[in-house]
Amino acid sequence: MVLGTVYTGFGFWNVYAWVMFFALGALIVLFLRSTGRGDYEKGTYQDEVFYGGNPVPQDGEDLAVPASSSYWGFTKALSRFYDVLVSIHTGILSDYMGILVVTVAVISILILL
Amino acid sequence: MSWQVHLPALVVSVPLLGAFISIAMVKPRLRNLWFATILVATTILAFLMWRYVAINGTLVYVMGGERWNLTLPSGMTLPIRIIMEVDAFGAFMALAGSIATLASGLFSVRFLDRVNDGNKFVALFFLLFAGMLGLEVTGDFFNFFVFLEIASVASFGLIAFWRDRPEAIEASFKYAVLSTFVALIFLIGVGILYGVYGTLNMAAIAKNMQVGFLEKLALVLFIVSLAMKSGAVPLHMWEPDAYGQAPAGVSCFLVVVGQASLYGMFRIAFSVYGQAFEGSVLAWVIIVLGLLSMFIGVIMAVIQKEAKRLMAYHCISQTGYMLMGIGLGLLALSSSQAMSEYGFTAMKGGIFHIINNAMYKGLLFLTAGSLFYATGTTNLNKLGGLARKMPYTTFMFAVAAAAIAGLPPFNGFVSKLLIYESSFVVHPFLAVVAMVTSILTLASFVKVFQSGFLGPSRDDLNNVREVPLSMVVGMMVLCVMIISLSMMPNWVLANLIEPAARDLVNQASYIQAVMGSGL
Repeated sequence: MVLGTVYTGFGFWNVYAWVMFFALGALIVLFLRSTGRGDYEKGTYQDEVFYGGNPVPQDGEDLAVPASSSYWGFTKALSRFYDVLVSIHTGILSDYMGILVVTVAVISILILL
Repeated sequence: MSWQVHLPALVVSVPLLGAFISIAMVKPRLRNLWFATILVATTILAFLMWRYVAINGTLVYVMGGERWNLTLPSGMTLPIRIIMEVDAFGAFMALAGSIATLASGLFSVRFLDRVNDGNKFVALFFLLFAGMLGLEVTGDFFNFFVFLEIASVASFGLIAFWRDRPEAIEASFKYAVLSTFVALIFLIGVGILYGVYGTLNMAAIAKNMQVGFLEKLALVLFIVSLAMKSGAVPLHMWEPDAYGQAPAGVSCFLVVVGQASLYGMFRIAFSVYGQAFEGSVLAWVIIVLGLLSMFIGVIMAVIQKEAKRLMAYHCISQTGYMLMGIGLGLLALSSSQAMSEYGFTAMKGGIFHIINNAMYKGLLFLTAGSLFYATGTTNLNKLGGLARKMPYTTFMFAVAAAAIAGLPPFNGFVSKLLIYESSFVVHPFLAVVAMVTSILTLASFVKVFQSGFLGPSRDDLNNVREVPLSMVVGMMVLCVMIISLSMMPNWVLANLIEPAARDLVNQASYIQAVMGSGL
């Protein structure tokens, strides 16, 4: 058995091969970084954010994309599916009890018959 | 007789003792010390129990007697005493649960400084701990029900611990009603089996099991009640409310308590019914519950903007992987060829996923608790740029998020790989759903990372600092576990997972450990 190797019955996977892969990637990144310009000075105009030529807002809140806007396209494309799914999650206890009873009935039919 | 044969009783009684004494603690510092001591002691006991079972095989403990048939009148052969039976699967569950509980307890110590009812919190926490471990060591149906109720009642109190928040009370109430209803369903199932077989011992019932209408009815009641307690879709709706409103340490703890219910479902399906239940309907019911849980859980998580609710939906989704993995094992139970072809691999994946989920899901809830402690909110729309201010929390969140998303080289990848490959053999659709779920898991945690930790600093979060040391230590326990599980996958599989899977499949050995040649 090779150290760190998992045999799945269909193939194998080795964790240390991946660790070495990431270590190699990190070394390449560090090498590329070391070839960059050495005249960077912290706290000067070089630190300024380029905001499409517009004044940069003072508060980071005005720059950030809020979480509720993430994956807007994905949720918009699936909006009809989400409408149904969210409408089931009513937060009302009697609805949850109803789903529980229906689930008991369905599983009973499957297993008893 | 070695003192270690008493370990099943000790893992339950030590946290129970901790619960009753903690109520009387006058000084907060003494109480905190007591809290940490009992947590560490119980985790060590769980580790010793796992080690004992790994070396000596299944551990059977009879309360108040050396053997269950010691003082029975001659001719009476029913095991009537309280019997605990711990095989490799039970010991594995107790160990995984204890480690996650230790981390959540250490994390919660600083939370106690902010509340007036710290003693009650500790008492409820230990009651929940005792209930969870009791579920995993008992070999008796009625005791299983009792421990289920101990764990449930403690959970109600802990979920509603922020009792000045109406949402917490509402979440606890919903859980209480649903939980009590399914507990009664479970009890009716126990009553049915008792009426038919005249005993409550699982091994004794398994030995005499002949599946007819009543046994099937009892099975339906067991499956539904334990599926609800573990948060499987479509019985999951209490979970985002409860996990979202409970203190973060409690949410982390509830993950492993839910897994104890899952353990009960698998124990009943494999060890009590096993091959006596003919056909594949039960296996497919579990697999379909798994598929629904995986997909609906993750698809709902993607649209959440509150970190703990998002993580709660992921908890449902991860439960789906365990259900599918072990459901595939159940599907292959009656055929040795199918078991060797895909069943045992799927079971290894499902069981490996149990410990993985306990660690990374627990850690994710703790990082959400850190965000709440430092900023007063877990609403992702109100967070941002915290990576510079909370570097330890950020690092540990990144590790846990990568692990739950199944990114190599983390432990989540190993268990998912086993499930993907084995499920593909049964039907490619199963593997596709599992992989799509994994991709969406990654997508939603990228969203949390981007919204909470990256981006420019917000003015209203200028004074945020890293959380106190004890909370970092609590998170560190789980982070170290994740990295260890990731770096030693073949050791974990050989020593933790495979013995557990073997014992779960081997119904005869479960029966033999208690009954011998009796009954």
